[in-house]
Amino acid sequence: MRPGIISRLARKEIVSTLRDTRAIVSNLLIPLLLVPLMMLGLPLLLGGLFEREQVTVTEVGVVGLENAPTKLLEAFKAGNLGLKPVDDATQAVQDGTVTVAVVVPDDIERLITSGGSAQLELVSKVGNMKSELNASKVQQAVSAYQSEIVAARLQSAGLDTAVLHPVTVKTVDASSKAERSSGQLSWLIPFFIAIWTLTGGQMTAIDATAGEKERGTLEVLLVAPVRRSEVVAGKFIATMLFGLSAATMAIVGFLVGSLVMQRVFVPRLGDQADSIVSVMGGSIAVGPLAIVQLLVSAVLLAAFVSALLLGVAMFARSFKEAQSYVAPLSFLFILPAVGLQFKDLIGVSDSVYYVPVLNTLLLMDNVVRGTAVGSEMLVTWAVMLVAVLILLRFALRNFQRESVIFRS
Amino acid sequence: MAPGPSGNIAAVSELISVRGIDKSFGAVKAVADLSFSVSSGEVYGLLGPNGAGKTTTLRILATLLTPDAGEATIAGHDLKREGEAIRSTIGVVNGGMGLYDRLTGREILHYFGGLYGMKRADIDRRIEELDELLQLGDTLSRRAGGYSTGMKQKIVVARAVLHDPTIIFFDEATSGLDVVARRAVIDFVKAYPSAGRAVIYSTHVMGEVEELCDRACIIYQGRKIAEGTVKELAAAGEGKGLEDAFFQLIKRFDLSTGAAA
Repeated sequence: MRPGIISRLARKEIVSTLRDTRAIVSNLLIPLLLVPLMMLGLPLLLGGLFEREQVTVTEVGVVGLENAPTKLLEAFKAGNLGLKPVDDATQAVQDGTVTVAVVVPDDIERLITSGGSAQLELVSKVGNMKSELNASKVQQAVSAYQSEIVAARLQSAGLDTAVLHPVTVKTVDASSKAERSSGQLSWLIPFFIAIWTLTGGQMTAIDATAGEKERGTLEVLLVAPVRRSEVVAGKFIATMLFGLSAATMAIVGFLVGSLVMQRVFVPRLGDQADSIVSVMGGSIAVGPLAIVQLLVSAVLLAAFVSALLLGVAMFARSFKEAQSYVAPLSFLFILPAVGLQFKDLIGVSDSVYYVPVLNTLLLMDNVVRGTAVGSEMLVTWAVMLVAVLILLRFALRNFQRESVIFRS
Repeated sequence: MAPGPSGNIAAVSELISVRGIDKSFGAVKAVADLSFSVSSGEVYGLLGPNGAGKTTTLRILATLLTPDAGEATIAGHDLKREGEAIRSTIGVVNGGMGLYDRLTGREILHYFGGLYGMKRADIDRRIEELDELLQLGDTLSRRAGGYSTGMKQKIVVARAVLHDPTIIFFDEATSGLDVVARRAVIDFVKAYPSAGRAVIYSTHVMGEVEELCDRACIIYQGRKIAEGTVKELAAAGEGKGLEDAFFQLIKRFDLSTGAAA
């Protein structure tokens, strides 16, 4: 193979893609803007909602308000709950008069003062987020009232409240610093790399194969004194480059989103800040070695995706037909990437590192969490390299087959 | 009966020699036992209806398809063993060939010049020559996506002859062109052959064969059913011209194979 010819073939594909506005928007701008928007938008929205619900006085329908002990009324008031007398609790929740209602029994005062137990009825709509949120506010208020009664009863009996907790549990987080900082959504990094590599390389791969056929330029290219292996190599390099560019943009978007979240929005999130930032992987910090490991893995993943895209898209006669062939391929990457978040529950055996794509996604997740092992890394990279060579052979074969080139 | 091979044109030097080429696609025989030769300085016509096997023949000679049987030599290179060398010496103009919409005419020519191993300065010099010859004008600076059919065909021709090929294959090169663009292609074909060069001109338009070709063969159902100078071929039509001769030859072939029944 002649490097000069391969470089010329690759450059043409790169220039052609760079002049396609759709490709630039979908490959470079969308991942750069969409990822931080998703990262910041969701927690800000949820954080805002939770905060508002906590601060806002929630109207609670009450049947038998006149029976409620003063201490219970005080607990409701302290929990930002406004009480509204209603005749039928279920009806009031069903018709939307209130989102949650409580039925106070007639004899509650007597039962409490005699040391007995009274039962409040809490009516809410299960499945309705707002109703459930407000029901939990009511339960917190009732719980506070209950603690007060228990403390008073224990005191009158000459006992300390510690008697209720003979054994307590103190939790200790054994996660490494990297694991702690990676958050529960650390799998988003391999997910973004996988998805955007596929999306980013797609347009170039289709344009360089089915697009060439549709335009009638493939025959012209193959009539030139170039070898099919050089044609595949040139198109492969260009496809890989755009796949990696899109993945890089998504990661940059992710990091920018994290930074903006920590510097600008955290102060506005109040009490929810720490948990939201942690869940969103907002404080991910990977070292230089981890970045190199991620880069090698991403390059191999992009190579796999590019060779697969070229081989598959070459079968199609037109751009549109190629898109329909390529679309289902996304499941190959989305399903394992999404499955990564459950990997601790499912349990991962060593044999998984022999499965192309899945092994790389797992490895990248481990690298982000700082738990990657050298042997897993070597097996993953070796398996991916072999898989890439097999797929390149598949793509080359399709560029050599008369029935594929002249399929009509 | 087909006219005999033209023995009156002296073969100065044989640039193309095709011997017993066969090609099938599944059960369909696209080319059957096809043989012909083209000499230096000659415009050789492949005349036949759509689906006769003309394009398949040219694709075989351009090394895009591999023949099932037979041999060929193009500019001294063996078809089966020296594909890359053959592709360096030929140019192909096909009516269905396209251009890269997002590249300018000059960029397209530079791209292909590079693939043919030409140096940048040589490509620029050759573009200037072709600009004069084909009146490329602003097609060089405009992106191909905005070309008219005529502009497109000019760049297609320029691309095919950029590397100064020894042999050019024109395959239905004027189909879909307006009268001006068509005339430009025909004038170019007329002017191109010289000592050491040859053209194979494939078409179903009788007038173009009469105007351009020194010799031609009529291909029908993948077989050569006649070959000779235009005058010799026309003689089979009892003096009524090439078109009548064409139909009579096809009719005779159908009768001889039982297809007409």
